[in-house]
Parts: sequence; C-alpha cells; structure tokens
Amino acid sequence: MEGNAVMREKLIVEGLSHHYPDEYTGMDIHALDNVNLKVTEGEFAAVVGPSGCGKTTLLNILAGLLPHKVGSVRVDGHEVKGPGPDRGVVFQEHAILPWRTVERNIGHGLEIQGLPAPERKRRVQEFVDLVGLTGFENRYPHELSGGMKQRVALARTLCANPVVMLMDEPFAAVDAQTRITLQEELNRIAIATRKTILFITHNVDEAAFLGDRCFIFTRRPGKLKATVKINLPRESRVWKNAVADPAFTGARDEILSLVREEVRDDDG
Amino acid sequence: MTTVSAPAAPARRDRKHPRLHRFLHQGGLELACVLLGGLALWSFLSHVVIPRPDRYLPSPGSVVFSSADMLWKGLLPDFVTNTVWRLLIGSGLGLGVGIPFGILLGLNRTVSDMFYPILNFFQSISGIALLPIVMIWWGTSEQTVIFVILYTVLFPISFNVLVGVRSIPRIYINALRTLGASRLQIARDVILPGALPSIATGARLGIGFGWRAVIAGEMLAGQRGLGWMIFTAQQVDLTAQVILGMTLIGIMWIVLDRYLLRPLEADTIQRWGLVQR
Ligand SMILES: Nc1ncnc2c1ncn2[C@@H]1O[C@H](COP(=O)(O)OP(=O)(O)OP(=O)(O)O)[C@@H](O)[C@H]1O
Ligand SMILES: [Mg+2]
Repeated sequence: MEGNAVMREKLIVEGLSHHYPDEYTGMDIHALDNVNLKVTEGEFAAVVGPSGCGKTTLLNILAGLLPHKVGSVRVDGHEVKGPGPDRGVVFQEHAILPWRTVERNIGHGLEIQGLPAPERKRRVQEFVDLVGLTGFENRYPHELSGGMKQRVALARTLCANPVVMLMDEPFAAVDAQTRITLQEELNRIAIATRKTILFITHNVDEAAFLGDRCFIFTRRPGKLKATVKINLPRESRVWKNAVADPAFTGARDEILSLVREEVRDDDG
Repeated sequence: MTTVSAPAAPARRDRKHPRLHRFLHQGGLELACVLLGGLALWSFLSHVVIPRPDRYLPSPGSVVFSSADMLWKGLLPDFVTNTVWRLLIGSGLGLGVGIPFGILLGLNRTVSDMFYPILNFFQSISGIALLPIVMIWWGTSEQTVIFVILYTVLFPISFNVLVGVRSIPRIYINALRTLGASRLQIARDVILPGALPSIATGARLGIGFGWRAVIAGEMLAGQRGLGWMIFTAQQVDLTAQVILGMTLIGIMWIVLDRYLLRPLEADTIQRWGLVQR
C-alpha cells in the first residue's frame, strides 16, 4: 500500500531552497527556504503568497527552467534536471508565438513530439473545442483578445498531455469579467482532463475557488506557511453558487487571514 | 412610433478605375507633379539658361534620343542586365553569409563581444575604400565587383539580424523548452521566424547599399554595366549618356524598392501584427 501511495504523488518537492546571486551588491537574495510539498494525481493545488515571496521562482524550478542546487524536485518519480514535456507550463505573460495561427500554436507540442499531421489535427481540434476557440483556428494571436490568447496557451499546454500542469498567474492580465469566465472554464477543463495542476496566484478568491488544497507561502524567503483544504466538490464550483457556500467562504477567509499576516508583517 | 434613424452610410464613391484610384491615393499624383515639374525645370535650364547644353546639361529630349540610339544597338539592355545580375549575385551571397552570421552573433554573447570591434572596424571602411585592395588581388574582374557588393551587404544585414534575434522575448524560448523542443527546433520555430522582420529590414537596407556599391564598383573595376557606362561616357564627354545612366540608376532603385523589397518587409511585419509591439 505504501508503494501505491508514493506512485500517486505526481509532484514531490523536498527541502527546496534557492538563492539568487546579486551581481551588484554581492549579497544574495534568499528566495525560497526549505520548501516541502506534495501534489497527488488529479489534484488541483493552488499556491498563494505575498508578492516577491518566490512563487515564480518555485515554478521556474519545477519547470526545469531554473536549476536548483539545494533540495529535490520529483515529477512522477523522476528528479527534475531540465525542462521536459512531462511538465506543461502556462506563463503569466503571453507566451504563444505571434507567427503561428491558433491551430498551429496549440498543436506545437505535438509537432515537437513528432506526431503525424492527421492525428495531430484531430487532437488539436479536440482542444480547440475544449477551450471554446472553435472558428478561430486560423487566426493569428494579434487578432485575439487577451483572454483568448490565454485560452490558446492553456490549450497548447493541455494538448501536449503533460503529467503535471504548472500555471503562473495565468489570468492576472485579463479583465475581471473575463477572469471569472476563465476560472469557471479552467475548473470544467480540470474535471474533464483530470490533470494534476499546480496553480500560482495572487488572488485568494481564485485560489479558494479552483483549488482542492491551497498552499500559503510566507514572505521572502518563501516557505510553506500553511495548507488549507477546500471541501467544495469540483462539480458545484460556479461563482454564482460558491459565494454563498460556507465551504468556499470559510476556506477563502482562512486563506485570506493567513496571507494577511504575511503582508501586515511586511508593512510593520 | 419612435424610430431611431440609422446614421447615413458614408456615400461610397463609385470607383470605376480602382487601379488609378489606388495609384493616386498612394502618392502617385504628387509623384507625377514632382516629375513633371522637374522635367520642366530641367528643360528650361537646358534650353534657356545654360550655355553649351550638350556639354553641360543636355535637354531631356536629347537624353531620350541617346537612349534610343543605345537601345537600337542593344547596349543599354545589356548594361542593365549586367548590373542587375551583379547586384543579385552579390546581395544573395551577402545575405547568405550575413543572416546565419547575424543569428550566431545574436544567440551568443561571447561570440558577439568577440566580433563586435572587428565588425565595427570594417563597417567604417566603405565598399569603395575596399576596392583598391581587392583590385590588387583580382584586377578589374567580375569577382572584384561582386566581392565589394557582398562586403557592403554583409554589415547592415548582420547587425539587423543580431538585434532582431536579441529582441525575441525570452519567454517564447522558455515556452518551447517546456514543450520539450530541441535547440534545432527552437532555432527553426522561434529564432528564425522571430528574426524575420529584421532580416527583411536588413535585406532592404543592405541591398540599398549594395546598389550603390555595384555602380561604384563598375566604375572602377567593371568592364560593362551601368556604372561603367556613365564612367566611360564622362571620359569622352557624352553628357547625355551620363545623365541617362544616372536616371536609370534612380528609377531602377525606386522600382526595386517599391515593388519588391518594401512589400516583402511590410508583409512579414504586418501579417503577424508585430508592428503593434
Ligand atoms: N533572476 C533574478 N535575479 C535576482 N533576483 C531575482 C531574480 N528573479 C527573482 N528575484 C528575486 O527573488 C524574489 C522572488 O521572486 P519571484 O519572482 O519568485 O516572486 P513572486 O512570488 O513570483 O512575486 P510576484 O507575486 O510579484 O510575481 C524577489 O525578491 C525577486 O526580486
Ligand atoms: Mg511571479
């Protein structure tokens, strides 16, 4: 049973610390301090923490874009040594290629994997439909709204079928109205694809609405401060209902007060 | 009943001649006016003001006459083809060397830091200043002229591509790395298309410099071509031919630039909406 439990942990972070060297002052910036966390298969894990606490640093390390010296990061049992298709990333900024159409952006991962064109086309269409971009297949990114661009980025990552999805404030740059829609859609997509997701955000409401669990980080150097479980069935997560549901509001208030402590300490 | 009257649709002017309309709209009218004005002034100077116009400033009429003469003998088309061929070959080689070189410089700081002073040194030596040494090597040959064009095209294209590659957002490369792309795939899918607008700009600039270099090269080291033509015409006081050559050089550049290079540049930039960045 023990072995089985280990296999179900898709992402394991142990004793992870990170320092950035500062070339000008010679002093280094301690960004992450002894971070330990686990995300199980199919789980939606939200990460919140004050600005500059090292969330993006964590994500870049998990993605393999930033090498780590202290601690270990394992995805599906394998130590992370660099970027790889087992970890899909949705960045905060628009990272889709302006010279590729929606369709070709979404299928880019499959193209890299060398999937034959007819099979690729079928898979791409599936994800175009999933994120609601049907009819926009042949548009270029500059012809899309900010929200639509993030849908493309999301579909591109999903389409490559990673073991773990890493998302860094993907909705921070869109307007409030679009954000609400995108959050509900991401929830629907997470149910449909049963992906394991680590989702970083500033937004406490967003974390409580989307997450099965929420990791709260301290201010810099970031460490895990607390974990809050959100006992709200995924299927019933719609904003209209959530705002009146004690399972949601209770978790949100708890996360909020934990985050506030960090921000207030920072001010005082 | 209350009805909201729709704003009147703007009256669409009946366009019977869309081509003419577009031509006039894209500054064709101004161009025509300037040209006609210029011709009138030139005629006036030549006929009324300047003494011995055949020696100093032949009238448009006699320039056209001299061109008819050369057309008749088949010399002019020959010279034009010569010059254009040299430009194409020299520029082609220059772009062929300069684009990969610029990409290499753009990708690798160490390499670009190493090459930068050398590049800067040679950039200050124009193609014409290089001619004497090349003529010592290869004499007045085709090779000499083409080498000078290649040399001239090389710098603007390399520098432009270097800057183009450097300005590709890092996030595009990172996104592709997380999709599992190899270095080669990143070069093909991000670096090359990302640098394309600057490749187009650099090519246009480079070929512009190259066009001047062909003419200069032909004057000193050519045995045929437009540059050679005006240079030799000067030596025997065929002023009409000199002016004819100059005019052709200018007109051919306008045509090349407007109908080939500029659309090429605009296409890559506009289609991807890169202009808005
Ligand atoms: N490349 C770098 N070099 C040096 N310091 C860095 C670098 N990147 C980040 N830092 C510093 O490390 C700390 C953590 O940065 P990080 O971007 O991970 O924070 P964050 O939690 O994502 O912040 P935000 O919520 O504002 O996005 C910050 O103090 C930042 O200034
Ligand atoms: Mg961040």
